Amino acid sequence: MKQFEDLKILQQKKISVEQLCESPIKLEKLTGGTGIDNNIVDKNIYRPQLALTGFVDLFNYKQVQILGNTEIFYLKSLSKEERIKAFEIICQFPIPCMILTNNHKLEPELLQITKKNKIAILNTPFETTKATYLLSEFLDDQFAPQAVVHGSFVDVYGVGVLFIGRSGIGKSEIALDLVERGHRLVADDVVMLTKKRESIIMGTGTSLVKHFMEIRGLGVLDIRQMFGIRSIRFQKRLEIIVELLEWNEAVEYTRTGLDEEPTEVMGIEISTVKLPIFPGKNITVIAEVVAINYLLRTYGYNAAKVFSDNLQLEITKNIGPKTAFQDQRHISFFQSDNE
Amino acid sequence: MIEQNVIVRNRAGLHTRPAAALVKLAAKFKSEIYLIRDGFAINAKSIIGVMTLAAEQGCELVLKIDGNDEETAVKELTELFESGFGEI
Repeated sequence: MKQFEDLKILQQKKISVEQLCESPIKLEKLTGGTGIDNNIVDKNIYRPQLALTGFVDLFNYKQVQILGNTEIFYLKSLSKEERIKAFEIICQFPIPCMILTNNHKLEPELLQITKKNKIAILNTPFETTKATYLLSEFLDDQFAPQAVVHGSFVDVYGVGVLFIGRSGIGKSEIALDLVERGHRLVADDVVMLTKKRESIIMGTGTSLVKHFMEIRGLGVLDIRQMFGIRSIRFQKRLEIIVELLEWNEAVEYTRTGLDEEPTEVMGIEISTVKLPIFPGKNITVIAEVVAINYLLRTYGYNAAKVFSDNLQLEITKNIGPKTAFQDQRHISFFQSDNE
Repeated sequence: MIEQNVIVRNRAGLHTRPAAALVKLAAKFKSEIYLIRDGFAINAKSIIGVMTLAAEQGCELVLKIDGNDEETAVKELTELFESGFGEI
């Protein structure tokens, strides 16, 4: 699909220590404004254990440094002079910030060194494993690849369905129709996609557009105000792409649903349905059915495959002496029930 | 495919009315038309999309047009930008 082939991928290059402090991880600044404008350019985090002992060859000083029990107790085990010396070795590098876990504090003489070198010192009540996990998740998200697509994104029965197609084909109208039927709008027109880990695409709207929508002939509408909180949601995982196409005899549409042609979005394959539209076709109902069918498949039932297997069985049965035509009927004997 | 840089000239920037004028003009063409700001590409035929750019005066955007009528489209759209959407 053209739109996804030349998708422009945006990626954050840096975030400031201040932004990190505003994250949901409970971080407290121990050195006030020192180093809060420092930039974090790497999503990985580092534990400077060996660097503290003086081995700095492979020291990833650009990463966020975590000082857990090991580092803190090691520093405590040293004499004051040794401690200052060890700490000065790592502080000569332009470290963006250090995070002390378990609510640890730094000795005043060490804090002075970090102030001099403009390194932000933060602490957190979480223990190291938990803090590392939370930080990784936050930084992973901040540095994740993002892309903007033109389409309507709706949660249909809990399945994230993205409608795409040329301008004016009726994406917003379908989204509106789905909202009327109790489904939830995530974003219309401008959908921001974010790759999460290596297998998930999350979608959301933009902070300006929120749940506004344009319907041709009506203008701009606010879905949240019109239909209430239950008609919207902020984010949803992208699970199906429905491409709306003008009916074209030259194009072959799937008849069995056995062979799937997923779309690659930022390196992740997303189930795709190509839907030809023509008068008299209720796309909203079909969209609901697409979502339900996706759920069935996710939960292990593939209608196309079951039908195909049944047919296979029937064909095998037919080998040998012909069975009566009667066997074709779903009900073999109507008894006296004439309803 | 044509790519052309354009600058928002009018003082109020690409607010609702200019955005509507731009979208109306863009919708006349069969070509695919994108407006790009800082790598953020939006469909120029979508009013919500164009307004998302929140383009202020002096803002530089890239017009990316692909299709049979791209030549006329780039000419007319550039003219619209140059005229400051009739607000200069």
